[in-house]
Amino acid sequence: MKCNQAEPLVAAYADGEVGGLSRHSVEKHLRTCARCAAKHAEVLALRARLRAEVPYFAAPPGLGERMREIVRNTPPTRATTPRPSRLRWQWLGGGALAGSAATVVAFVMGTAVLGWRAGEDVVAQAVATHTRATLDHRLIDVASSDRHTVKPWLSERLDYSPPVRDLVGEGFPLLGGRLDTLGRQTVATLVYGYRKHTIDVFVRPDASAAPPLRELRGFNVVHAREGGWDWLVVSDASPDVLNDFLQKLLRETAKP
Amino acid sequence: MSDHARFEQLVLPHLGAAYNLARWLARDATDAEDIVQDACIRALKYIASMNRGDAKAWFLTIVRHAFYDWCERNRPAEIARDDGSALEAAVDHAAVDPEQAAVRRAESKVLADAVAELPLAFREVLILREMEELSYKEIARIVDIPIGTVMSRLARARALLQGSPRLRAIAERTPGGER
Repeated sequence: MKCNQAEPLVAAYADGEVGGLSRHSVEKHLRTCARCAAKHAEVLALRARLRAEVPYFAAPPGLGERMREIVRNTPPTRATTPRPSRLRWQWLGGGALAGSAATVVAFVMGTAVLGWRAGEDVVAQAVATHTRATLDHRLIDVASSDRHTVKPWLSERLDYSPPVRDLVGEGFPLLGGRLDTLGRQTVATLVYGYRKHTIDVFVRPDASAAPPLRELRGFNVVHAREGGWDWLVVSDASPDVLNDFLQKLLRETAKP
Repeated sequence: MSDHARFEQLVLPHLGAAYNLARWLARDATDAEDIVQDACIRALKYIASMNRGDAKAWFLTIVRHAFYDWCERNRPAEIARDDGSALEAAVDHAAVDPEQAAVRRAESKVLADAVAELPLAFREVLILREMEELSYKEIARIVDIPIGTVMSRLARARALLQGSPRLRAIAERTPGGER
């Protein structure tokens, strides 16, 4: 790496923001270039001084208690629309909207409104989506084994709130979630692991046309309709494993 | 979980960070408390939309908005001065000779004062990085600017602070080859 390439990265490196190959190159460069090394040392020296000399203002005593009090006395009025005057609030307001009213409506209307198109199409799309995600390493938009993180993330971005269960005890740890498009509809994809395999589960409110269990281009697809949900499971794991997994997932979901 | 319970569990743990940010932005203890209070009430209102994973960044975004709204009402001049291109131009001007500007400052003031004197747009990015140790991505989201702008503002903030001769002396004492 040359100086002109390394220089813009030095501060980012000091901030722990340079990863992978670039990180290695910057480190190598810093060992040989006195100018960049000095720049790096400056950032670290400034940081040390900031930590030592610039106060972190602790909240005054009792502030936490006062805030708890104020919030307790505030009636729970949720925001229903983003504040129009402030564009900056958009991600916040939009989330609030998706998180509350919209989700409930879609849950109720889900079955009537949403539908896969022709069944075969969807299986082909599901497999294509699964392979694309695997090849692009875009397996997961929200990486978490905590269903309490994955579920709200998905429900904020969808017009329904999919059931999310962890099956780590059964050997299928939840890895995260993703959004995909299937049959012109944005759906929740739950990503589970099984040994070296990944299993994609596309979940959407139950609809009528059900694609059967099948194998496509070496990928196995199992499907179920249960509890008001339509489940489409795609993986390169064997059909036996997938069926077993799906049964466990449905059993876990059925628990209150 | 009720909104109130969520608030207590997810937002209150970050009250310290909220206060520190408000305190550094407003540069006044009483004003900082007002801003935090306003932020708490807003947080409760929007809490249903929050992901558990980024409660801190989420809450600090609200604190920052609460500060800017408070500032608009109480110190409109400060925001006007910090507005967009005017800000960049003003700082470009200062950055032409940061050394000189800093010499004046460093002789009479300590580093904390130098931080407090940074233009708002640079101060907030520096506080979020160096005090809250947030990632560029989180800062970009809180301040609502691209990551590239986070990097350039951070670089300017550091350059303004590093202009001080005392800081230079420290930097020179650190061996150049050390990583």
